[in-house]
Parts: sequence; C-alpha cells; structure tokens
Amino acid sequence: MAVIGAAFAFGANQVSPRGLALTRNYFPAGVSRPVPAATGIGTPRGVASTNTPASSPAQLLAVRLKEQGLQSVDGSQAEQLFHDPRFKQGSIAFIDARDEQHYREGHIPGASEFDPYYPEKYFPTVLPVCQAAEQIVVYCNGGDCDDSESAAITLRDVGIANQKLFIYTGGITEWTTNGLPVEMGGRNSGNLRSTNK
Amino acid sequence: MKTSPSSCSRAAADTFAVLARWLLGAVFLYMGMNKALHPVEFLKMLRQYDLVQSSLLLNSIAAALPWFEIFCGLLLLAGVAVRGTAVMLIVMLVPFTVIVFRRALAIQSAQAIPFCAIKFDCGCGTGEVFICRKLLENFLLIVFSVWLLAGYGRELCLRHSLMSYTAKTSLPEKGGSNGSI
Repeated sequence: MAVIGAAFAFGANQVSPRGLALTRNYFPAGVSRPVPAATGIGTPRGVASTNTPASSPAQLLAVRLKEQGLQSVDGSQAEQLFHDPRFKQGSIAFIDARDEQHYREGHIPGASEFDPYYPEKYFPTVLPVCQAAEQIVVYCNGGDCDDSESAAITLRDVGIANQKLFIYTGGITEWTTNGLPVEMGGRNSGNLRSTNK
Repeated sequence: MKTSPSSCSRAAADTFAVLARWLLGAVFLYMGMNKALHPVEFLKMLRQYDLVQSSLLLNSIAAALPWFEIFCGLLLLAGVAVRGTAVMLIVMLVPFTVIVFRRALAIQSAQAIPFCAIKFDCGCGTGEVFICRKLLENFLLIVFSVWLLAGYGRELCLRHSLMSYTAKTSLPEKGGSNGSI
C-alpha cells in the first residue's frame, strides 16, 4: 500500500508542471541554517526573538551574507541606486527574487523578475540584463527571507560576477515602508502605485 | 420485527464511522492539494523544521508527501483499503504532531507567550493556525484513524460494493455449473 502510494506520489510530482526537481539544491545558501547561539537553541526560522539586538533578522542576514561572500545594500543605498541615472541606462539592475504572484502585486519599478526556484524559466530574460549591468541589486521580502541570497548565488553560479551582486537586505517590505513607489504587473508596465510612509 | 439496542448502536457507530472516514478523506485531500499546488512554499516550510540535512531527502519529502496525502484521501473517500490507509495516516500523523508540538515549544521559549497563543504556519496545508487548535485537530484525526483501523466505517466502501456485486453475479453461475470452476 505504502509502495503504491509512494509510486503514485513521485509519479504525480514528475507529471505536475509545478513539481519539484529531486536532485536540485533549492537552497544553495544551505539546507540547514544554523542559528547563532545568541538566539537560543532551537529557535525556529521566522520566529521573532526577544533576545539581544544582535539576533535581529537583519543582523543574522548580514552574517549569512558574509559567509556566502555576498555584499549587501541598505535602504538608503538601494534608493540612491534606484534614482541613479545609470539605472535607466541599464548599468544598474534590480532583480526581484519573489514568486510571480508577489512580483505582479508590486515590485520595485523596472526590476526584473527572477524566481530562484524556477531559474530556467527566467534565465532568458534575466541573464542579458545582468550581463549588461555593472551593479545588480537583488531583493525579496526582507527580514529573514533568503530567496534573494538563493537568487544571487544562482546567478553567480551561471557566471555573473560576484562583485556585481548586492543583496538589498530590507527588501520590498522596507521599500514600501519608506514610501517608495512600486510597479504592478509586468516589468516597465508603467502601472505605478505610491506607497504611504 | 424488532431490532436489538446493540444492533442499533452498532448501526449508529457504523454510520458515524463512515462520516468520519469521509471527513478524514476530505481533510487529507484538501491539505494535500494545498501543498501540491504550492510545492515551493511547502518545501520552505519543511526546511524550517531542520529535520534533514540532505537536499535530496528534503526535496523528496516535499515532492511526495502532498501527493501521498491526496492518495490516502482518495482511498478513504472511495473506501478502498481503508484499514491500510488508516495505518498510513497514523504513521504520518503521530510524528507530524510531535514535530509541530516541539516547534511550538521552541516558539514559546523564544517569544515567552502562553502556549495556546502561539500561531504559526505549520506547513500542514491550512495556513496559520493556533497551536492548541492544531494539536486538537490532529488528535481527532488520529482517533478517527484508529477507529477506522478497528474495522469501523466500512459501509459504502467501493471495494466492498464491488466484491458483493461480484459475489452476487457469480453465485448463480457457480450453482449452474455444478461447482465446476
């Protein structure tokens, strides 16, 4: 019974268009992410800690990025890069590492969509943008979200220079909190929505 | 013709057990579909439990478990291999409940809030839930599964209906052929 069930399950996953590839490493930053001792043993990911400020999600992310050899930018730097004329010229690129639904609901205007869990789907559009850019800002939701790391590592693995890649640690949450505009729908749709500070 | 009280209570228990079987089947079908439609979300949830270190194993669990739940749900709704399916549900539900309970304890120690005030997405396919409610739900699902394992809820089973139909249609033939095969 269990064998038949398992055969059905793996077969269905294989056939499903949303099925997972068993041999792919979906978390290039690590399947298991050890939590520093300051947060307490067993503190799960996604759980706000009441411990020292050193255990804030942003600081944990900074530690992880350092381990991965990735650079980060904060909110003001991201905003500066967004207003930089080189962004319009394509020398600066923004990459949204969230899924399609979230991207369409609102992304940084002009950002390219790149869901790191389905990279092949996005490589044809994202790689030319990344190759042309001198600085690439990758973001996801912010906080303890690590999809931007996965996206950056995936891009690095296919030949995008590491020194070009920057993780916007605050992500779209900080962007909207800062009252910056978001674009809905596809890239350069022009459908802008201002967010309240 | 009178029916004895014991046969009445047995009939009531059987009817209730069939309803429990359908409920279990529907719950597993729903939860399985929710996960199977969003496998990446389920994969991320599973990762949060830090159960396995191998990406192959993590992917395999995330890929197969939702469809396995759908499989079990369909079997229960149809009434095929009910007792075998009940065993599989118990084998899945008991460890899940322990894992979710342990995670809730970890959250409680991190946030210092009352146990029943803990609310999180356990990756069970029903979104964010209060932990006490989730544990109660799982307890009921385990009780229903044990009940089915004990042999209740076998009315309106596809398998039994097919077998009784086959038996009915094959009996006259058997008599007509004087016991020959």
